Amino acid sequence: MRTTIAPWLATLVVVAVLTACTREDSQNKATTVAGEANNSLTVVTVNYPLAYFAERILGDYGSVSFPAPADVDPAYWSPEPADITAYQQADLILLNGAGYAAWVANVTLPRSRLIDTTIAVRDRLIPIESDVTHTHGPTGDHSHGGTAFTTWLDFDLAAAQATAVADAIVAARSEHEAEFRAAFDGLAADLEALDADLMAVAEALGDQPVVFSHPVYQYLERRYNLQAISVHWEPDELPEEAQWRELQSVLQRHPAKIMIWEAEPLGETRRRLAELGVQSVVFSPGGNRPATGDWLDYMKAGIASLRSQ
Amino acid sequence: MSGVLYLAWQYLAYNRWKTTILVGSIMLIIYLPVGLNVVVEQSGQHLNARAQATPLLVGAKGSPLELTLNTLYFSLDTPELTTFREATSIAESGLAEAIPMYVRFRSRSQPIIGTSFEYFAFRGLTLADGRMPALLGEAVLGATAAETLGVGVGDAVVSSPETAFDLAGIYPLKMNIVGVLEPSFTSDDNAIFVDVKTAWIIEGLGHGHQDLANPDASSAVLNRTADNIVANASLVQFNEITVDNIESFHFHGNLDGYPLTGVIAVPNDDKSGVILMGRYLDSEANNQNVRPRDVVEELLDTILTIQQFIVAAVFIVAVATIATAALVFLLSLRLRRREIDTIGKIGGGRWHVASMLLAEIVIVLVLGCVLAAGLTALTWRYGSAIIESVVMA
Repeated sequence: MRTTIAPWLATLVVVAVLTACTREDSQNKATTVAGEANNSLTVVTVNYPLAYFAERILGDYGSVSFPAPADVDPAYWSPEPADITAYQQADLILLNGAGYAAWVANVTLPRSRLIDTTIAVRDRLIPIESDVTHTHGPTGDHSHGGTAFTTWLDFDLAAAQATAVADAIVAARSEHEAEFRAAFDGLAADLEALDADLMAVAEALGDQPVVFSHPVYQYLERRYNLQAISVHWEPDELPEEAQWRELQSVLQRHPAKIMIWEAEPLGETRRRLAELGVQSVVFSPGGNRPATGDWLDYMKAGIASLRSQ
Repeated sequence: MSGVLYLAWQYLAYNRWKTTILVGSIMLIIYLPVGLNVVVEQSGQHLNARAQATPLLVGAKGSPLELTLNTLYFSLDTPELTTFREATSIAESGLAEAIPMYVRFRSRSQPIIGTSFEYFAFRGLTLADGRMPALLGEAVLGATAAETLGVGVGDAVVSSPETAFDLAGIYPLKMNIVGVLEPSFTSDDNAIFVDVKTAWIIEGLGHGHQDLANPDASSAVLNRTADNIVANASLVQFNEITVDNIESFHFHGNLDGYPLTGVIAVPNDDKSGVILMGRYLDSEANNQNVRPRDVVEELLDTILTIQQFIVAAVFIVAVATIATAALVFLLSLRLRRREIDTIGKIGGGRWHVASMLLAEIVIVLVLGCVLAAGLTALTWRYGSAIIESVVMA
């Protein structure tokens, strides 16, 4: 009987040892995966251009999120406390600076993880003076004017912002510096190409006057030396007659043939503008994530629209 | 033997006032040095633990002790004020993490701590309920503060005016409680934590009000020109920050010039700490950099010196007390001559009388020791909190 049981016992012992080894191995693997997951960088941004830059640089070494809903302008979005909690838990919080996303001033965020991507170029930001000051209490006159914030439409400034993003990511995960720097070089080359393309288009436009449908193109105007005036028109609203009269008044002293829009205007608006001899061109600032494509596609499409005029 | 004890006990019980005074005296001469030692040792450990956990403090030049007690233990005395620029400068130096502290206001008896999000991680504070503050005007309470004020998540606390007679002062700010912390058994348990910007709003440096360009606010306009609007005293300033009015809250001027009571600097490493300290050695500098453990050690040294004086005084008092007790005992022997004679006449020997007198002494000593032990135990439990509140006050 003893000789019959012995092989079975030996088999059981071998199976038990192998099972233990396999379990230990899988536990080790799980630990490694968890370790890698813990080491991955979480980045949250206040607008889509910064999210795009971070995604390009970070690659697969972390996750980038931009929690604003798709149908809002992130510059004027107010996050819910749950969104702010997500910002608080991130390793890096990328801010546009220049007063973009004013809600940042009214929330509690970890200061050590805030990266103002325009801090190094703050002397190149464009101040906007408020027309009206007010006085109350002992603090004297003051206005609530601010700074033009669509900084990335100057692709040279966009490159400076991308540099700030890359530096922050490298500082947070220096072990992958080579990969991050290589990815950044690719992004910088793309931004340089965009800059050269738009510069060429702007040179072709020369002194030709332009009208912006909204005052968000200050950096585009300055960098590419466009002769432009801004009005306050919304692409999804039919302008009121007063606004048409104002435009006609503008056109008398500034005979623009092109109006640059943030998004496709209504057909009726486009038709009436054409009657005034003004062609509508869409150059989206790309502040929010597009339904298709990415930020680079947005910018290329905008440049192509301008080139076609 | 039981008869001797019975007689001794009956004598002590009959002369209860004399016994009480003797027991009290014995208790005090034992308790005073022992209890004092317990208090000093425990407070020292308590103060040291928090000081050791705080690498460096930066604040305006003035008393290092005031700066340390205010920043670490939220004492009532406000040190000289520094500015937010100092926190920014430390953070931008890349040498240390800078945690701004503005410990100036209270809600009833609880200190309101204006700080940054990093403070919670630095002190290892975790939530028992709710969430961390996200918006201006939100507060997180320490466990004891929540219990003392009888509030929890969803309730509100109101800041107290700095002085009762500041009629032209700032309206109190109502702050919504969004979280309660787990007990940490430190000063943090008594505190109300808010964003430093919320503390500035309590002070009136930031505020929210009606939009003066809005027609609804016309009654608050004193004078309106093309490029300036002057408000009158009826301008409605908000005393609670809500989702609806938060966008109207703003700060005038550069935040870098706004006040702080101190900055906790957490150097990246020892070398960074030394470099950072070196920056404040210049006698012309407006700010000072202190190591809390040095300040607390100095404070404890002072307390220890005082303790030694007290112990010496207690020793002298103890000798006097024992001498007095001995005198009382000897005098009582004279008074009890007839009682001792009576014991002899009814058959009690010298040994019985001596045993009875010895039993009386032993009972008094034991009672004194037991009471002193009880007081020492109470001191062990509550002494640290009492001494801390006395030091903080």
